[in-house]
Order: sequence, then structure tokens, then C-alpha cells
Amino acid sequence: MAATVIGQGIIIEGEVTSDEAVVVAGTVRGKLTVDGAVTIESGAVVEADIGATTLSVGGSVTGNVTASDRVDLLTGGKLIGDVKAARVTIADGAVFKGNVDMDL
Amino acid sequence: MSRNFATNRAGGRTAVRGSDEANVLGATVRVRGRLLGDGDLRIEGDIEGEVRVRGSLDVSEGGNVRGNVTASAVTLSGSLTGDVDAEGAVLIRAGAKVAGDMKGSEIALEEGASYTGRIEADFELPDGLDDSRGDAKSRTGAKRR
Repeated sequence: MAATVIGQGIIIEGEVTSDEAVVVAGTVRGKLTVDGAVTIESGAVVEADIGATTLSVGGSVTGNVTASDRVDLLTGGKLIGDVKAARVTIADGAVFKGNVDMDL
Repeated sequence: MSRNFATNRAGGRTAVRGSDEANVLGATVRVRGRLLGDGDLRIEGDIEGEVRVRGSLDVSEGGNVRGNVTASAVTLSGSLTGDVDAEGAVLIRAGAKVAGDMKGSEIALEEGASYTGRIEADFELPDGLDDSRGDAKSRTGAKRR
């Protein structure tokens, strides 16, 4: 269980930073910067640039994404934006539009 | 922005929450901006901006909110600078540091809490003191350090 859970009914508009893992099941608009794992759950809507160590996308993300470790775009996930990470996976059934940069 | 509240006003807040997981903003979280939503919310981190939830709001010890707060019930154990508008009860616990006006059905201020502001709560005066037929309203300029 992550230290921070932004649940389904919650909307955050603005800048969010954290030093611990964050799970988003709700809506975040703005900027999300986490020194840890970020999990975007199915049904979540994120319209924000994301910085994280690892990022897992099962919901919808619009924004540029940078991860120091890895980005996993899961089945049913949707990512529109540029991805910068050492390791990137895009699952079958995921939607992706943007550039991938694995040259960190 | 009110759409989120409007849809849920009558139906309660079960519809929006698929699971019963609590909304938590952990101790290392900083939010600058607006926080809206349905469901209970616990803040252990640092929030700068307006907070509006349809559910209970709990600012934990170590939590820090700078901004106005609207919720169905509010429990403050951490620090809050801003006004509180609650449908239900507002509880300011021992150790809390609160500055702002409180509005709620009841307001409780524990011994050991630090509070500056105005308290506005509806209450009925006991028999004998009641000369306004139950619509008495307090507007107390409470100040306590």
C-alpha cells in the first residue's frame, strides 16, 4: 500500500511532489513529481508532466513522462506524450502516441 | 468545478468510489494547487491551496494545510491556516495549530490545541436561556493560544 493514494473521486489541480510512492486512481492536472514509483490505475486521468523513478500506466496520461528507471504502459493504458526512460515497455492493447527516448 | 459535487449531492458518495480504499496524501507529499473530490481524505503532507471534499477531511499530525477547507466533517491534528466550512462537526485536537474561521454544526476545541480565529456554529440554547426559539446563532470571537 502506497503512502499516497489519490482515489477515484479526487481531483488535484496543480503541482504534486512526493518522496514516496504515489498511486493515482483519480484525476491529476498539472505536474506530478515523485521520487519513487508512480502507479496510474485504470480509470485514472492524468493531464500532467510526470517525473518518477518507475511509472506504470494503466489509465490515461497526457503529458511528457520522465522516469529514471522504467516506464510500463499496460494493457488498456493510454499515454499521449513523450517518454524518457532507460527501459520502456508497451503492452499489447495499450495506446501510445509520442516519442520514446531511451538514451539517458 | 461544481459538477463533481452536484452529481453526488443526493446519491451519497458511494457511487464514485469503486473500492473502499482511503484517499491519503502521505507525509512527503506537497501539493500546490486545488484539491477537490468525493470521499474521505487524510492529509499527512503539505497542501498549499483550496481543499474541497464531499466526505470527511482529516489533517493528521505533521500535516500542514494553507488554504480554505470545505468538507462534510473536519478533524484537525496538524496545522491549518485558512477558513473551514463544514456541514458537520469540526474537531480541533490537542497539538493542532489552527488559524482561521471555523464554521460547522459543532466545533470542538481540545485542550492543548492552538487556535486563532472566529467560531460560528448553530446551536440551541437550553431551556430558560432560550429567548429566540432555537434559532440562536453564536458568533463568538474565540481566541485561544
